[in-house]
Amino acid sequence: MNMAVTPVPGTGPAIAFGSVSLSLGGTDILCDICLELSAGRTHALVGPNGGGKSSLVKALLGQMPHQGQIAMTWPGDAGNVGYVPQALEFERGLPMTVEDVLATMVQTRPGFLGLARRHRELVDTALARVGLSGKRRRRMGALSGGERQRVLLAQALMPQADLLVLDEPLAALDEAGIRLFETLLGQWQAEGRTVVWIEHDLAAVRRLADTVTGLNRKLLFHETPEQALAPERLINLFSHSATEVPLAAGEVA
Amino acid sequence: MSLFDGLRTLIVSWAQAGYLPELLTYGFVVNALMAGLIIGPVLGSLGTLVVVKRFAFFSEAIGHSALTGVAIGILLGEPYTGPYGSLFGYCLLFGLMLNYLRNRTGLSPDTLIGVFLSLSLALGASMLLILASRINIHILENVLFGSVLTVNSQDLTVLAVVALLTLMAMLPFYNRMMLVSFNPQLAAVRGVSVKLMDYLFVVLVTMVTVASVKVIGAILVGALLVIPAACARLVSRSLRGFFWGSVVISVVSTLAGILLPIVFNLPVPSGAAIILVAGSLFLLAAVARSLVPAMKGDVV
Repeated sequence: MNMAVTPVPGTGPAIAFGSVSLSLGGTDILCDICLELSAGRTHALVGPNGGGKSSLVKALLGQMPHQGQIAMTWPGDAGNVGYVPQALEFERGLPMTVEDVLATMVQTRPGFLGLARRHRELVDTALARVGLSGKRRRRMGALSGGERQRVLLAQALMPQADLLVLDEPLAALDEAGIRLFETLLGQWQAEGRTVVWIEHDLAAVRRLADTVTGLNRKLLFHETPEQALAPERLINLFSHSATEVPLAAGEVA
Repeated sequence: MSLFDGLRTLIVSWAQAGYLPELLTYGFVVNALMAGLIIGPVLGSLGTLVVVKRFAFFSEAIGHSALTGVAIGILLGEPYTGPYGSLFGYCLLFGLMLNYLRNRTGLSPDTLIGVFLSLSLALGASMLLILASRINIHILENVLFGSVLTVNSQDLTVLAVVALLTLMAMLPFYNRMMLVSFNPQLAAVRGVSVKLMDYLFVVLVTMVTVASVKVIGAILVGALLVIPAACARLVSRSLRGFFWGSVVISVVSTLAGILLPIVFNLPVPSGAAIILVAGSLFLLAAVARSLVPAMKGDVV
């Protein structure tokens, strides 16, 4: 199933999933996923828990053995891939500041020697973009869930990724955080970066995504938000016996 | 003459000439202090990763497996004062197998470590009973609880080589080993080889533990990988404070644990004395943290 969306010229890659299948412990997680994601666009993955969204993303990141092919076509040299997980496994009492955590991600020099001078500007810029400049010396454990999520967004800006893979970034964000995310996403879209975005907030998906892909072990649809988030599609997507929805007339197969 | 023989001779001669404390006229005291100065920083620094990665039980298990390694070594004819071949061989096998199965069985780490630890202790106990009829079993007390009196130049060389290797691995890979424990998927996307870092960490903990057995003893060596870092974690607010605090606490505990029984003529094994000092510092830190709000940092 495929829907052509005009690529946006920029630094992000086009991604083609060719008959991707994946099973764990004898259970089929993904069955024969054929999907093409246009370069420089924002692609939302939606579906019920256990539907295979995270597995597809892991396969995309090369961290899950699978059958089939996943090909990335970059506009020039292969760029940076950024990943924003849902959370870090972080003990609240651990004596690590925001700057310490970011230092462990961007430099080889051990974090206990402090942030290297040559990375300071990179960290300063990333923290400013996520509105955390004033909290760089705060312990990670003392931050709110939304602030920790902003730190995770900041690391994807160091260096700025050309392909961004986001795993429910809105789940922990407050109102201000969601506005900040929308600003960042707008910049990424303007710069032609490809975004693959797992999300449960369908209102945000309708507002912000270029395409929406419904997954429930198999590919159910891949369409524009207006087509994909019609009530009958959603009922089908989140029902137990989800079936592939026939393409509407005029849709490109 | 090794580097450590030369250093010891020099320090002893300075002490005999009155430039250094009289205590240092004894070669075994100098050996013990050199051992403490080497293992203190290594255990303290590696301990920060043990605490962050929640590997405390693992380091304890490796320490206990050293007992079995010693028993195997003596049975195979290695000298009971330093059966390093069997010690390193058995403990590395123990650690690597544990990590291999941890990735494949789906069992939680503490369950798997519990199984391995029990098996290893059972094997060690059986071998020690066989050994009891061949050697004076009291010799093994030194292995269990550590003895500064028996540290020689060979032990110091082993410690120095392990410390150097640990430093060479820690400096470039410290951040990566830490990031893997925060989120393996994120670490992998950022170019970190997650499995390699896991195995490297297991090898480092094993080597440092085995090299420290002579001074601290098989029963207690794992504790010195945990207590200084746990203590520093209580009173520090940044990674820099956490790391260097752990190193200082480890060095102070090691040196005090070595010197106090000698100076005050106490019949306490060095390993026990080191852990008692470290444990006391930990209790002080815990009390200080509860009394001084600023030490809690900005945790809400």
